[in-house]
Amino acid sequence: MRPGPALAVAGAVTAVAILVAWRALRDLDAVVVSGRSMRPTLEPGDRLLVEAWTYRRRSPQVGEIVLATDPRVPQRELIKRVAALDDGALTIRGDGTASTDSRAFGPVAASTVRWRAVLRYWPPHRFGPIT
Amino acid sequence: MLTIRRLIHPTRHVAAHCDLPCGVYDPVQARIEAESCLRIIEKHDASEDALFRARCIHLKEERAELVKHHLDVLWHDYFKPEHLEAHPDLHDAFWQATKQASKVKQTLDVQAAKDLLAAIDRIDAMWKSTGGPEKTRVH
Repeated sequence: MRPGPALAVAGAVTAVAILVAWRALRDLDAVVVSGRSMRPTLEPGDRLLVEAWTYRRRSPQVGEIVLATDPRVPQRELIKRVAALDDGALTIRGDGTASTDSRAFGPVAASTVRWRAVLRYWPPHRFGPIT
Repeated sequence: MLTIRRLIHPTRHVAAHCDLPCGVYDPVQARIEAESCLRIIEKHDASEDALFRARCIHLKEERAELVKHHLDVLWHDYFKPEHLEAHPDLHDAFWQATKQASKVKQTLDVQAAKDLLAAIDRIDAMWKSTGGPEKTRVH
């Protein structure tokens, strides 16, 4: 192969790789947990990686930990576990003993839930996937 | 968009929110009010003073209402579906206890007040068996 086409191919591959990486990073974010309603799964101060590509393909599933806008305080982003999915309506619940969730404000629309918690990266001694 | 800066110092806060973060529950709160009802009824019955008896009735009704309130808080906020699995009669226990509290509110029946204590103790046993004392009280 002559250098010309080889360079063009390498350039195209690099461009695609950068695009894919950029899109992946755009749908990845780091968040910090406040509040105790997800104990013992999540503690206040835990830092998590959240991703937004899964729910482009499918609806949230029961058992997954998701970010949802608080229907009563729209500027607050909640982190809760999906307890039920019924015809596009998600029932979300805290794992802890005391939690304000769908029991207080009803189900949230699955279509408004974009982010899923996947990994705790801080503190290091509790590093690992979120289940 | 994930950046090294955001990873090291996330600015996006997600709330594992609870309106009432205290998480302290104990059926003893309801029991103390129910014990008050029993004692008030006994004092009422032992007295000849019309004014004192009227006060007894008023206070007893107030205490009985508090029993219902404390039981409701336990029922709504402490007990969870997994507790119901372990105690299928949980809803019935609360229904019976709150109905009994209504009865104590309406009557001056000593036995009704004693039955209320027993109904609360049934709930107390469920609270204990689900780890309530360790999970919800300050030690």
